[in-house]
Amino acid sequence: MSRTATDDEIRRWAAARHLPDAHLARWLALAQEDRAALMEVAETLRLRTGQLVTAFELLEEIALRERVTIVAILARREIRRILDGVGSAPGRARELLDKLRAKRFPRLQRMADRLALEIAALGLPGGIKVVLPKELSSDEVKIEICARGSADLQQLIDAVAQARAGLGRIADLTGGADSIDDEI
Amino acid sequence: MKFNLDAIHIEDGVRTSPLARRVLGALPPGIAVNYVADGREAARPIANVTDSFAAGKRQMTIMRRRSPFLMACPAGSSEFACCGYLVLTLASNCPMDCGYCFLQEYLADNPGFQVYANYADAFDELERLRRNAPVRGFRVGTGELADSLAFDSLTGISRDLVEYFGGRDDLTLELKTKTDEIENLLAIDPKGRTLVSWTLSPDRVFQSTEHRTASPAARIEAARRVLEAGYRVAFHLDPIIAYEGAERDYLELIGNLFDAIAPTRIAFISMGGLRMTPALRAAARRRFPDDPMLVGEEVLAPDGRYRTFMPLRLELYSALSDRIKKSAAKLQTYLCMESPSVHRRVLGEAALPPAALGARLAGS
Repeated sequence: MSRTATDDEIRRWAAARHLPDAHLARWLALAQEDRAALMEVAETLRLRTGQLVTAFELLEEIALRERVTIVAILARREIRRILDGVGSAPGRARELLDKLRAKRFPRLQRMADRLALEIAALGLPGGIKVVLPKELSSDEVKIEICARGSADLQQLIDAVAQARAGLGRIADLTGGADSIDDEI
Repeated sequence: MKFNLDAIHIEDGVRTSPLARRVLGALPPGIAVNYVADGREAARPIANVTDSFAAGKRQMTIMRRRSPFLMACPAGSSEFACCGYLVLTLASNCPMDCGYCFLQEYLADNPGFQVYANYADAFDELERLRRNAPVRGFRVGTGELADSLAFDSLTGISRDLVEYFGGRDDLTLELKTKTDEIENLLAIDPKGRTLVSWTLSPDRVFQSTEHRTASPAARIEAARRVLEAGYRVAFHLDPIIAYEGAERDYLELIGNLFDAIAPTRIAFISMGGLRMTPALRAAARRRFPDDPMLVGEEVLAPDGRYRTFMPLRLELYSALSDRIKKSAAKLQTYLCMESPSVHRRVLGEAALPPAALGARLAGS
């Protein structure tokens, strides 16, 4: 597609979805291949305005962190798999944003995955929930107990007590007690 | 003079002040000198420039300070363990331009580089402080809203400060800098009352983000020289930026520092993670869109600032603290703008109350 045709298409998309001017200007300021690739994503996954803004921001930040172009990020196999997939467009849009977040915050993602595995391995009953701080932004870990009746409550408290060591380890991990490997 | 200026503005009321005379006497040719009725107007953002904050750094205004000089450190808060630092504001803004600097937000409305000609009034405030708290020791620094030594070759303020503090056993002056502008200091005897501290970062951060500062090696060499001249020295690993490979680089930096200066001769080392309010982060990214150090794995923390997510931040602090302890178990370390729980996790002990830590740092 020619540069003019791509830009017209971007402007039409922006107008139809009320994309703020500042974002449109940044989009049009990208290199030709980058803005065309972003247009393809917006069309293919039928992104909502907020999703486009988020994807755009994540792509720009990944590009800066990794010193690559946006088109190169979108050409990666795991991203193409989402773009070329057969699921619903909204489902694939969510998957794309999750994938981009994981790329943008690789060590945070690895730590969150590890904590999720540790929590699952505790095998806690359904009435107990380990709540980690959003985006691991603090060292505060909450244990929520949701009980119906005193017998249920007693059982859940016992389960928490039995999981004491594992819960302690999760609290320590949240507080940086173990190493988070740099990306290889 | 190691930094460039476009113009100097001198407020009418201070045109015959010793500071104005010293600056004019040391000024290289070719810099415009203007006289203005009110220096505050000259320090406002310059209209019609792309980056008024950067432009302000090149406009020095010599003026009278209308507010008190002495205040508690603005970073202090009940949610953080605090070091009891007192700030003496003798200047505002800095000719260097670090991408993470909080002044980009703090001074957005008055970015002109201000130097206060009535700075001797600060000594009266310090005397009042001493009278009101006769048994306490205070650590007082000039490096919060400005670099303590940038332009010192022009202003010569450090000489008066070191002289004043040299006669007071209950006060310690901390000159905080990222320069190697130490020539004035080398000519004065600090009498044990002045501590010079450097913010240190690995080369990668220096190259990417700390524009117009002295290199880390030059800072360490300057520290070694002032130490030999009788000053105490301290270091701030702040902000610690958690880029990939950061732990290795910061450990190497500490190794280089201890190779040059025996850790037993260092008064203290502070650590603080990169922290940016949303407004600061937006300003920094707008001004330095190509700096990868400003797009790390920071998330919005409970205090409303973007910070490196907690496990990674604490892992880095712990690694650096362990390294410091390994070389000098008694070397005083503390964390800046972190909660008491983080302090306890990293340093293995509860944070001291601000007054106690402040007094300890003043005397260390």
